[in-house]
Amino acid sequence: MSLREPAWRVTARELEASLEEEKGTGDRATTYLLSPFGARMSRVLLSGTLSPAEPIGRDENQPFWRSRLADPTGSIAVTAGSFQPRAMAQLRAVTTPGPALVVGKTHLYRGRDGVAYVSVRAEAVRAVAEADERSILAEIARQTLDRLDLVERVERGPTVSDEELRRDGVPAGWVRAARASLARYPQVDRPAFRRELAGVIRAVAGGAAAPPSAVPPQVRVTRSPPPPPPPAPPTVAERAEESLFLDLLDEVADGSVDGYADWKELVERTSARGLVAERAEAVLNRLEEEGVVEEPIVGKLRRS
Amino acid sequence: MSSSDAAPTLPEVRLRDLRPAVSPVEVVARIVTADRREVTRRSDGSRRPLVSGLLSDGTATVRFTWWDPPREGLDRGAVLRAVGAEVREFRGRSELVFTWKTRIGPASGAELPAVDGDDVPQRPVRDLRAGDEGFRLEVRVVRVASRSVSVGEERRVVYDGLLADRSGPIAFSAWSDFRLGVGEAVRLAGGYVRTFRGRPQLVLDERTVVTRIDGAELPDPAELLRSPPRSIAEVEDEGGGVALAVEGIVVGLLPPSGLVYRCPTCGRSVTSGICRVHGQVEGQPDLRARLVLDDGTGAVTVNVARAETERLWGITLEEARARLRDLPDPSLLEEQLFESVFGRRLRVRGSGTKDDFGVTVFPESVERVDLDLDATADDLTARLGPGA
Repeated sequence: MSLREPAWRVTARELEASLEEEKGTGDRATTYLLSPFGARMSRVLLSGTLSPAEPIGRDENQPFWRSRLADPTGSIAVTAGSFQPRAMAQLRAVTTPGPALVVGKTHLYRGRDGVAYVSVRAEAVRAVAEADERSILAEIARQTLDRLDLVERVERGPTVSDEELRRDGVPAGWVRAARASLARYPQVDRPAFRRELAGVIRAVAGGAAAPPSAVPPQVRVTRSPPPPPPPAPPTVAERAEESLFLDLLDEVADGSVDGYADWKELVERTSARGLVAERAEAVLNRLEEEGVVEEPIVGKLRRS
Repeated sequence: MSSSDAAPTLPEVRLRDLRPAVSPVEVVARIVTADRREVTRRSDGSRRPLVSGLLSDGTATVRFTWWDPPREGLDRGAVLRAVGAEVREFRGRSELVFTWKTRIGPASGAELPAVDGDDVPQRPVRDLRAGDEGFRLEVRVVRVASRSVSVGEERRVVYDGLLADRSGPIAFSAWSDFRLGVGEAVRLAGGYVRTFRGRPQLVLDERTVVTRIDGAELPDPAELLRSPPRSIAEVEDEGGGVALAVEGIVVGLLPPSGLVYRCPTCGRSVTSGICRVHGQVEGQPDLRARLVLDDGTGAVTVNVARAETERLWGITLEEARARLRDLPDPSLLEEQLFESVFGRRLRVRGSGTKDDFGVTVFPESVERVDLDLDATADDLTARLGPGA
């Protein structure tokens, strides 16, 4: 039985500070983004000022749009592609920056420099009145404070049992999230993050929030243990291999009925051009890691 | 086959008091379930009929096995008197076995042992589970309404409603008129609990003893129907419930929503003019909305019927049909409904049931909620503490 994932009420800042994932096991397992402040998110609900969307991605048949949602704490990318047609249409309908509500799935992308980028893949987007934005920000602030209180309570008394917390009305999912936050982010300055919520509360009261860019983030989140050193930048030779690989991939894909490049056929061609199977596989792994190429069906490749 | 010539030495016992040490016995009980089957004898391969099922007399429910039963007269609800029934023990529970030595005849409900309120333990409503019986409740009548149902050929009046004590509410269904009035406090002895739509339901049969009590400590019905919303996570944990209140934001709309067509006979939704039960029918237009309501701890589906959908959407069924004529794509109508409900904060009261996809709430009321933003901001500022 899989219940629908709740939409965690979060600020942009909390998402920006989230660097850890919990990957599920088994078929169609959910991946959760863990925040330092007691959220274990698959789905989130945010509100703030949404900028007009711009198209990204080169393939005309695979449209993909991105805009940014800025709340008083920070900003976060909101994307929608052809797999979210409703959200994509709603995102494209935003022509001038204005208050909006976004519900979507969290997505963590770790670039080759080791930096994590969190974005929200929108399921539904809507321009809202300013009063609605304030009301949603109020709920976001309240639940964020509730979660911070819970994380601090568990930190102060790690022996507090799940049963005891449940008796106090704390949802099981929140208890699990608080414990995961403490385990994954033992060094985070949570009081500093709590202070950053003041901007959200000012916005709830109707005061103009300082633009997020004017306030340098006070919270520095470090992964613990520290992130692995970023891989060495690719050499010129590696770049050349990648470029050859991608050219041939496009060639094979263009010639195929289903639009996918068959791996065997691709290796034949790369081998003919001096990129032997072993090397080609290494290039593929690199490109897959970077999210340039994907293998949705075993042995069938395409550009992401 | 009558009880008048019963051997006077056999003790008549209540099912609760069955012990293998005291056997055979005489019992009066009602058939709760009965399944007929045949067992092949190993010795000569001949087949021997048998009926097994559950018997209840209001004090307990026990399994029974009846060898070579009559062809008829074993309907659910029939009351039997069995003289000379064997008591066996199976996995620590007593069972009854009716053999060729047992004399069995029909009995009337009045012959069932009287269940005295003081004789059975009092239970809080919250602890009741399907299959429970032989208990006593002290509850307030929160709601009661009669409806007429057909049982076979016959029309009968059933009284449905809600009872509650301090531990919680439970739905009930009564097959006799106990003249229960909303707000009354009563002591009930002799009911049993069954499962209805995945939730426990208390059944009051004709032997249930109802006594009016003072009930000063019982909750006020109005208070119960105004109870503050609970977290959706809690509602999911409990598998739904009655007299629920939840509050959240609409984050999704599930199909089929918007303008739907229903079978004129059964009300099921009709696709391509075909009802699942009644075949080709002329679908009757209707409005509905299956909202996903989320409060940050969990999500429920709220099945909103026509009147509330019209109110939330701001258009009537007729207007929706008129719009349909101008729309190039009927699915756009559902998009319009979603646009008008997405992001709304709603408080929903009603009953909820749970299945593999989560809890579905059947609302009795759906209200928009507006936060007092200034007061909320003050509360939140206070929670931030000094120095913020």
